[in-house]
Amino acid sequence: MSNQPTILVVDDEQPILRAMRTILGQHHYRVITASSGAEGLALATASMPDVIILDLGLPDLDGKEVCKQLRSWTQIPVIILSVRDNDSEKVGALDNGADDYLTKPFSVDELLARVRVALRHHSLMQGAKTSIVQSGDVTIDLAKHVVTKKGEDVKLTATEYKLLAYLASNAGRVLTYRVILSNVWGYGEANQMEYLRVYILQLRRKLEENPRRPRMIITETGVGYRFIS
Amino acid sequence: MKVQPVFPQIFIRVLLAGCAIVISSVVFVSLRGFLSTSVIALLYLLVVVFCTTLGGMISGIAASVLAFFTFNYFFLPPLNTLIVAHSQDIIAMFVFLTVAIVISNLMGRAQIRLEQIQIREREASHLFELSSSLTTIRDEKQIAEILAQNLRDVFLAELVEVKINLDFPNTDCEDVHCVHIRLPENAALDDAYKQSQVLTTNRGILGEIRLWTSNPSLTHSESRLLKTIASQAALAVERAMLANAENRAKVLEESDRLKTAILSSVSHDLRTPLASIQAAASSLNDRSITLEPDARCELQSLLLEQTEHLNQLVGNLLNMSRIEAGALKLQKQWNSLSDLIDTAVEHMRSQVTQHILEVDVSEDLPLIQVDAILIEQVFFNLISNSVKFAPIGSRIIIRAVVQDPEMMQITLINQGPEIPEEHLEHIFEKFYQFPGMKQESSTGLGLSICKGIVEAHGGKIWAENSSAGLTFGFTLPIEKSGVLITLEEEMSNTEVEKRKEYRTYE
Repeated sequence: MSNQPTILVVDDEQPILRAMRTILGQHHYRVITASSGAEGLALATASMPDVIILDLGLPDLDGKEVCKQLRSWTQIPVIILSVRDNDSEKVGALDNGADDYLTKPFSVDELLARVRVALRHHSLMQGAKTSIVQSGDVTIDLAKHVVTKKGEDVKLTATEYKLLAYLASNAGRVLTYRVILSNVWGYGEANQMEYLRVYILQLRRKLEENPRRPRMIITETGVGYRFIS
Repeated sequence: MKVQPVFPQIFIRVLLAGCAIVISSVVFVSLRGFLSTSVIALLYLLVVVFCTTLGGMISGIAASVLAFFTFNYFFLPPLNTLIVAHSQDIIAMFVFLTVAIVISNLMGRAQIRLEQIQIREREASHLFELSSSLTTIRDEKQIAEILAQNLRDVFLAELVEVKINLDFPNTDCEDVHCVHIRLPENAALDDAYKQSQVLTTNRGILGEIRLWTSNPSLTHSESRLLKTIASQAALAVERAMLANAENRAKVLEESDRLKTAILSSVSHDLRTPLASIQAAASSLNDRSITLEPDARCELQSLLLEQTEHLNQLVGNLLNMSRIEAGALKLQKQWNSLSDLIDTAVEHMRSQVTQHILEVDVSEDLPLIQVDAILIEQVFFNLISNSVKFAPIGSRIIIRAVVQDPEMMQITLINQGPEIPEEHLEHIFEKFYQFPGMKQESSTGLGLSICKGIVEAHGGKIWAENSSAGLTFGFTLPIEKSGVLITLEEEMSNTEVEKRKEYRTYE
């Protein structure tokens, strides 16, 4: 198949590359691999993959740096692979434009789900920008600034709407606290987590079927939030 | 202490003696008819003693000489001349002079010695205070502060500087490895004189003291005092260094002991899942026999289970070693406890299939500043602990309440078997086991990790057998949020609503 999506896997551990090649290959993805950050960046430019899976803790470049360099010229979705003890590097990479993360060890189901979300998000980004985002019963019309739940208008305050619109227009991506705060509230308040917590609680109360088991605005513990569309 | 010029002082003392003799002579002359010459001589001696007491040796000697002449002039015949008629009187006069001089000399010396003793005593009590305030201190900065304050008080110095080198034996004192105290912090040093004294012990130079005083030089006793203070301070610094070194050694020893314990206990725990993984994988890989579908399924799920177990074990070990090494860096952020618990419970759904997990935590609890990933780990460990020990089908209940304005109390209650009272406080220790405890699939680390994380947040953790079931409780401090959020305020005029109105009129 010529139109099968290409996935670039950057990891310095050969067993991981071997497993990825086999597993993703079995699911009809074309897999290319790189074992260093520099090689990964070069391959990304040369073969324009649809998704990049990037391991943190590469021998030559740190993940944050790779993300920054990639984001300087492309919006290709980047999924971070991290181990549990480098949470801060993971958040750093997400702050710098990575879309999603997986914590090693991960199951194949998780991996495939993340790849699918990333591909969908990417194709949405490339196509005509949709102004309507749907998530469960909730419809957000980004052009008309209208939010409805089961067809009925939902009253949102200006800030609630701004936050929801930002999350919805980045559906599928993991958005870190810093990224959300600086995009919705502006840089001055990038450390005012309390606002974000309270507004998310408000949004869930107004929009989620069961605010205690959210299906639309998901908490990524210690990292940020993810909007599921 | 300002030193007065020497000449006026002598002059004043001699003047004192002169005055005393003139006044007493006037009195004695008026009493000439009533008292015998020998009584007058004795009275003069009394005046000499008086002068010595008040003005020291110089006054005493001056008074002796003056008394010698006035006694001769007014009282020895022929009167009102310095001529002496009887040779006996000449002897008496010289005896008088000698006795007077000897008395003033002895008394003067005694006085000087008394002064010296008083100075010594002040020094001694001062040093005693300094040393007793330094003995209990193990922190170089505090030592330097006490020392600086002390030096300033004793020497009335205009500026005191104390430097203590922390990075011993590296002697060049960069600011990073140095405690540097200046008292007062911004003083001008234009016309002051500097004295300095290094702090040394037999290990080498540990620091330096510098004083700026208004006197050009210290007196002998002052410089001796400075040296003594310096050597006491050096000892205190050395003691602090040794105590720190001892603490480090203790920590190392403890961590070494722990590592040995972990190694021995874990090598067994690691090998068990590894053995089943290897067995399952090699039979799946064996092409010489065809496995029946059921057997194949069984081996595959065994592989999954055992890798998951191994993963948990390694994760626990990693957490434990970070807690033990004190390397647990809390990434504290404002978190909603209800959201945190809901997410943790959501993540555990797949593992909690045979128990009923209930969360009774209000969304309106105050936000708390915690490391969300670590607190989530506490819930993981407590829940998976409950799943392991509580009977199938029983309920696991999580509750949280604001215990007092400064503490949030979280409890997890399960229907697991009671833990004997004497073991309750020990179950948070690493690898703790008690008779009758189910041991399978326990790493012996889960609860001690919880303890480490909760304590790192400034809370405490405990377990108790209550009427509701086996209860694990822990507290987390509530800090005041700097932001008061008034959501309702914003509701009145919002962009969204305005836009909607326009739409209606279009």
